[in-house]
Amino acid sequence: MPSFFKRRQITKQKMKQKKEEQTKQKIGDYGTTPLPSSLKEKIDFIKSETGNSFDVIIRKADLDEKLGIETAVVYIDGISNTQIINDFLIHSIIKNRELHRKQPNKDIFEIVREEVVALGDVKVLPNWKEVFQMLMAGETVVLIDGETRALGASTRGGEQRSIEEPGSQVTVRGPRDGFTESIGTNIALIRRRIQNPNLWVEVMKVGRVTKTDVSIMYINGIAKEEIVAEVRERLNRIEIDSILESGYIEELIEDESYTTFPTLYYTERPDMVAGNLLEGRVAILVNGTPFVLIAPTVFIQFFQSVEDYYGRAFLATSLRFLRVLIFFISIIAPASYIAGTTFHQEMIPTQLLIAIAAQRETVPFPAFIEALIMEVSFEILREAGVRMPRAVGSAISIVGALVIGQAAVQAGIVSPAMVIIVAITAIANFATPSFAVAISARIIRFLFMIAAATFGFYGIILGLVVLAIHLTSLRSFGVPYVTPLAPMIPKDLGDTVFRLPLWSLKTRPALISSEQSQTRVGGDQHPKPDSSKKMVPKKQKGEQE
Amino acid sequence: MKRKSFILVLYFGCFLTLTGCWSQKELTDLAIISAMGIDLTENGEYASTLQIINPSNVAGGLQGGGAGQGPPVSIYTATGSSIIEMNQRASKKLPRRRYYAHTNVLVIGEELARKEGITGILDAIERHQEFRMTAVIIIAHGVKASDLLKVLTPVDKIPANKIIKNLRFTEEQWGEVFTLNLQDVKKDMTAVGKSPVISGFSIEGDPVQGSKMENVQTSDPETTLSATGLAIFKEGKLVDWIDGKTARGTVLILDKIKNTGISFDWKDKKDVGTFQVIRMNSKNIATMKKGKPKITVEVKAEGYLSEIRTAVNLTDPKILIEMEDTIEKTIKEEILLAVEEGKKVKSDIFGFGQVFHQNHPKEWQKLKAEWHDVHFPELTVDVNVEVYIRRTGLRNNPSVLKQ
Repeated sequence: MPSFFKRRQITKQKMKQKKEEQTKQKIGDYGTTPLPSSLKEKIDFIKSETGNSFDVIIRKADLDEKLGIETAVVYIDGISNTQIINDFLIHSIIKNRELHRKQPNKDIFEIVREEVVALGDVKVLPNWKEVFQMLMAGETVVLIDGETRALGASTRGGEQRSIEEPGSQVTVRGPRDGFTESIGTNIALIRRRIQNPNLWVEVMKVGRVTKTDVSIMYINGIAKEEIVAEVRERLNRIEIDSILESGYIEELIEDESYTTFPTLYYTERPDMVAGNLLEGRVAILVNGTPFVLIAPTVFIQFFQSVEDYYGRAFLATSLRFLRVLIFFISIIAPASYIAGTTFHQEMIPTQLLIAIAAQRETVPFPAFIEALIMEVSFEILREAGVRMPRAVGSAISIVGALVIGQAAVQAGIVSPAMVIIVAITAIANFATPSFAVAISARIIRFLFMIAAATFGFYGIILGLVVLAIHLTSLRSFGVPYVTPLAPMIPKDLGDTVFRLPLWSLKTRPALISSEQSQTRVGGDQHPKPDSSKKMVPKKQKGEQE
Repeated sequence: MKRKSFILVLYFGCFLTLTGCWSQKELTDLAIISAMGIDLTENGEYASTLQIINPSNVAGGLQGGGAGQGPPVSIYTATGSSIIEMNQRASKKLPRRRYYAHTNVLVIGEELARKEGITGILDAIERHQEFRMTAVIIIAHGVKASDLLKVLTPVDKIPANKIIKNLRFTEEQWGEVFTLNLQDVKKDMTAVGKSPVISGFSIEGDPVQGSKMENVQTSDPETTLSATGLAIFKEGKLVDWIDGKTARGTVLILDKIKNTGISFDWKDKKDVGTFQVIRMNSKNIATMKKGKPKITVEVKAEGYLSEIRTAVNLTDPKILIEMEDTIEKTIKEEILLAVEEGKKVKSDIFGFGQVFHQNHPKEWQKLKAEWHDVHFPELTVDVNVEVYIRRTGLRNNPSVLKQ
């Protein structure tokens, strides 16, 4: 009997393998299959492979009627720039007919490549794999009768979203441009900010089916080579059907999956990416999304905003303190309320205790259940607000404010103090500069509520200890998550919760940037405008006004 | 790694099992006691009075609508032969768990304070986990503690709060009484060279009427609580009450006066001027003279003239200096009055003994044993008062002068 099953298993495995191979072929892994020389065969192959798709355009043109040399221009409508194809390819081919007769020594393929195709980026494509890769990226392929190679001309284009102000990270002062869905535009936006040949870009295709363009960007000499290599390796390791957003990449390359904290930073702002590249970080751009990943990431980054560097240092520092406070409020405010009202009534001032007790008098639930009801209903409200079509969105806020804010209190189901706590928590959550950490805090909050309901403030402290241990255990591309606090790097503390004046931040972050060059500010840049003091002459003694 | 995680688990296991504040208690299950009173019954047992807050009648909350309709506090009483036992017995009548963490006032009945003293009571309270040592202690002056706690008060709805605030602001603005918490009392009682003085409270009006809601529903409450006098203790027992100028003199020596108005005579006219103190401090200096202890009370007072009802030229600095002398004399009289009273009952309520202990430790060893009964009553007390009139208020000369 066992042998029977064994065989069946083997055959099953074989079948599976076969199937996999078939699908592999089907989804366009052509390997290095060379092109046939006949144009008709080539066109037929493309047609059959693309399933006669409506948007695959094949335009035939005679190169020499008498000799019967035909060419075909193949492109995909919508993702390529038709204007360019018409003007510089089709028009050029028709105009340059019989050009090869003047240069009988030269190969027709070379003539077409050098003289007919009037475009900047022209590639020779030796096999089907590359032909399809070019085609699907929006480039144009020129096929020539009798040649086993094809020409690829860069004609990417088509409709794209224009550069707009980023919706997820708004600033008062600072540049207004944000990334778009096109990786080319995004790279250009960064390159415009860092005009230096050392800004290196590496491109790779990730995703077996989607063949998404993913590029790594870093500044050679500032970025740490080990980290760049690590990023490259992790990206190369990915084997998945599709990459539709940078979140896919994030989840596949992050150091720790089982955490609510993001170990990769994402942003929509080119200036933020530029700033991070200049600190020695690596940016990972993914085609099709405006969100760019930054690695390695440290926890304190989530409390910083680009605007901190554009405004005055004092304000930036105080705002960062406020954000840390906000983070703590958003994780322990409801928990503290529960702990205070059910365990440590002696800690609440008498008058306040009486006020809270009076409100709780009619509430039928224990404080924890009350808090849970309110928090959950708020989460429902928020989710509804985010997912609802904009036209109906305002109805949600009215219903929410009435039902939760007023009716629930009047009905005596929840106490007004609880509504205040939930509201403060919610506002604190919205005020967190990074959405990724705000979401994280949203989940942790419930854990803290449970801890507070079972052990009071002791539970909250215990929870904070666990949180601290967890945070210190995390790493992002080898860099400890809570750097520069643990491990403590004193010279990097100037740009953590504090933001010291720019002239005093002399070096780049130690663990992140390359050891060779860490000086950011040369010499003593502290402004000392002595000369301006002389502009208004001092009054002489005895001189009258 | 395995070892590490084992140690971590061990740690957290300890954290969870070694908790002190374990028990969860919902707010709606608590009877928040705002004040506790202890009396002595006729058959020698203790009687405790618990003033429990009705939260919904205090706070003007949205729901319930009960604010102002019912009494803000309810009184529960119990008797027993020990403090803790009788309080636990009170739970037979109470629908909720007694909660002492917000008990801010402890009222001791006068009879109890006289007959048995407060030492034993303080022990029970000190041992209790919830009771705060920062609670204010007062003595019911001439009434029972239970009657005192029953009186409903307007403005500050919770009587306990009214008592605390009353004491605090009287201390700040007048000075005949002062706030004293359990910790201070305990300190005074354990010190050899000092006896405690505790502020007294009495009922003005009918106690029964005071416990009714009508008492707070009129603009002129029939029954009110008022701070009256200081109770002098000796060896834990109440021996005497002092009042008025004597009481203020005592508070003055204890350096607890912040602000007060001192009336003084001027040229045979009685109490025609008032000196408003804005800064005042006193210091007791101990010296030994031929083996005999001597105390010098040095008082410095700064202030302004807040009232002059006689014709006097205040623009003349000489007159002001003369006036300062007069005020100095008035203050000195008050202090000496207080000292005399203390000597009469043979109880050093001013802490003179402590000053000797600190400055003349060797001699103190000899004095210590019979300080209150022998040495303190024979003590020479010198009083030096320095008064500075800084201003004369918003005007110079009194209008009386112009006539």
